[in-house]
Amino acid sequence: MTAAALPAPLSVARRSWLRTAVVLLLVAAVLSVLWVFAPNFFKLNNLINILVQASILAVMATGMAVVMIGGGIDLSLPFSAALCAVLGAMYMRATGDLAIGALIMFVAATFIGLLNGVAVGYLGMIPFVVTLAMMSITAGAAVWLTNSISISHIPAGFVGFFRERPAGLPVPVLIALAVSVLAAFLMSRSVFARQLYAIGLNARAAKVARISTRRVLAMSYVAAGASAGVAAIMLTGRLASASANLASPSMVLDVVSACVIGGISVYGGAGRVWGAALGALFITLLGNALNAAEVSLYASQMIRGAIIIAFVAFDRFWGRGG
Amino acid sequence: MMAAPFLRMRDISKAFPGVVALDRAQLAARSGAVMALVGANGAGKSTLMNILGGIVSRDEGEVFVAERPVALRTPIESLQAGMGFVQQELNSLPTMSVAENIFIDAFPRRLAAIDTGVCNKRSRELLRRLGSDLDPRAVVGDLSVGDRQLVEIARALRRDPRLLIFDEPTASLSPRERKRLFDVMRSLKAQGVAIVYISHFIDEIFEIADDVTVLRNGRTVFSGEVASLSKVELVRHMLGSLDYEARLQRRRPAEPGVLLRVASLKRSGIIDDVSFTLKAGEVVGLWGLLGAGRTELMRALVGLDPIDAGAIHWSENGATVRIGPAELGRRAGFVTEDRRGEGLFLAMSVGENIVMPNLRAISRLGLVRIGEQRRSAARMIERLAIKTSSQDQRVATLSGGNQQKAVFARWLAGAPKLLLLDEPTRGLDVNAKTEILRLVNELAGAGTAVLLVSSELEELTRVCDRYLVIVRGRILAELPESATAEQLISALSLTDPREIAA
Repeated sequence: MTAAALPAPLSVARRSWLRTAVVLLLVAAVLSVLWVFAPNFFKLNNLINILVQASILAVMATGMAVVMIGGGIDLSLPFSAALCAVLGAMYMRATGDLAIGALIMFVAATFIGLLNGVAVGYLGMIPFVVTLAMMSITAGAAVWLTNSISISHIPAGFVGFFRERPAGLPVPVLIALAVSVLAAFLMSRSVFARQLYAIGLNARAAKVARISTRRVLAMSYVAAGASAGVAAIMLTGRLASASANLASPSMVLDVVSACVIGGISVYGGAGRVWGAALGALFITLLGNALNAAEVSLYASQMIRGAIIIAFVAFDRFWGRGG
Repeated sequence: MMAAPFLRMRDISKAFPGVVALDRAQLAARSGAVMALVGANGAGKSTLMNILGGIVSRDEGEVFVAERPVALRTPIESLQAGMGFVQQELNSLPTMSVAENIFIDAFPRRLAAIDTGVCNKRSRELLRRLGSDLDPRAVVGDLSVGDRQLVEIARALRRDPRLLIFDEPTASLSPRERKRLFDVMRSLKAQGVAIVYISHFIDEIFEIADDVTVLRNGRTVFSGEVASLSKVELVRHMLGSLDYEARLQRRRPAEPGVLLRVASLKRSGIIDDVSFTLKAGEVVGLWGLLGAGRTELMRALVGLDPIDAGAIHWSENGATVRIGPAELGRRAGFVTEDRRGEGLFLAMSVGENIVMPNLRAISRLGLVRIGEQRRSAARMIERLAIKTSSQDQRVATLSGGNQQKAVFARWLAGAPKLLLLDEPTRGLDVNAKTEILRLVNELAGAGTAVLLVSSELEELTRVCDRYLVIVRGRILAELPESATAEQLISALSLTDPREIAA
């Protein structure tokens, strides 16, 4: 991805070559499975499809990566995206106003991120528990608002926009690229990012270095919330509807997997944020390969879980950076 | 005249990679007597006790228990030899009951279940032996620190040890609780138990111990009856002969004004009514033994630990404002005693570490200006002569002295008026130490006020203009630049006047 050309002045962002080699091997394995079982996979149109599939995951994984670099986790992202998609879609259906509808999705998701951020940063609550509870709240709220009925009749203009292909690439792919490049830039250059990496590496030392750890941590959840807002807009546009079951627990797992495979350390303080977007692409390829090889849903879940554990173990035993 | 000691450790040596922890150390403890084991930080006390506990194996030397040689290869062998360790009350399990805490590592069972009846009954007996009628069913988290300590002693007594080791048991006790602990120790003594008592508090040693052993740099430098020496002599044994070097010369500001005035700073149980002033261009030594509250005072001043009461006044350009610790933390540079754990981000580069607290100053619109970062870091690396291949080198790979310079560099970039230095030369070699002291001296010459903590008196006397003597969280005396080492050492054995009254 083009992000590779960006400056990465942060030394901690670098990962070991061994890890990169393992990821490349996995990619090769997935591609050969596809080559054998689904030779049509490599047609240009299908490849573009894959990019579209990966784009929403990539946006959320980018937000998750920011939180993980600070040493936290946000399990509520996909469910928050679903709830906010529902909210915005209801507004669109009622008024036909696309821009305000999209804005509602973005602002609501950012606000949910702020709630997580205040709970974790300022109140010192455990990220896992806070965001798991938030996942339950947002999931419940979405079902409650919609009675589990999908909100369709999204104005055609909105849906049409997401089918456009300026410069040959569909709009969702371009959005994901833009988010990824912007995030990569900010996470390598901003004061906020520098402080967030420092907190993820060593929160005590960060305090001594005059970093206001509470504010910076809270900000990281706000950023993740914003990514869920963007994902909500993309989901609604692509599916031409919004519903409570846009999100699922397996999507949470996919977001975390994308980060972990993309080189974001679950222990905080290490990894480059654009790796998460590449991780999302890999997860999407993996899903397609497992499908093509007619692996059962259950076995496929087991394989995805095993890959996460393998990478976390890898980071645990072969350390940060290299 | 003494009976043969119950425990005798002879010529114990132990080396870890890169350090000799013990070098033919000796320790003997009699049954029915308290042996105080003292020594500065790193003197080898912990290693010696770990050998006794079977946690660390000795390289050389012999251990005799009741005249019989013992191997002490494992903690089990240590228990079988009759050793008992009283853990610090921090190790207790707060949500469990007193009896559960006492029996946690060996519950009496009936069939497959824990026999609560026996557990409670035996706990009650053990506590009664300590003169306590604590309810074994009480939850430990609800107890006072002193009572938790009793629970820990009861746990150690459960196996009926013939020698009990207390490792700094009084650090968090109130004077009344400490008295009770000493009563317990006296009654155990009367029951014929040998006690090894590790403490940094000189007055306590003279209150409770019969004998004292002083370790310094892994060697036993004194062993004998407490009654045979004075407090000052004891401190001198601990610190060793001082290797004085010439005082570093410095230009003094003509009319130094007061920069900082701290009034009645308090933190319950840790910092007790501390007041002092610092003038611009002055180096003030905060002189006290480990555990006296030196580090705690510094952390409280810069807002890293909470305070209960007190005021901080800051004077600059003729105006005095009252500020909170958080604000003082923004104005002062703070070099922590834990360089690797708190001072540096080991995984980051030298340059990144140097600019970390000053990112705002080298950024625009929230973005770090990389060119500015490199210039700023390069300036500091040159000014402090930090030996590094480039500013992109990982700070973890620098030598200790250069790491410490990197810590200084990050504060100097902001040209602070005040520096708080907690053991800034710890773990450095002689040359690096001198370099750091020169730097301190140079900064003070340029008008920076410095509050300096060091365990090494010969360092303080090279740069300090004044000394504040801290004992148990209180500033008990202030000594002038002309104070001799003798006077400084004597000051450490000062006793808080209120303790005597109590």
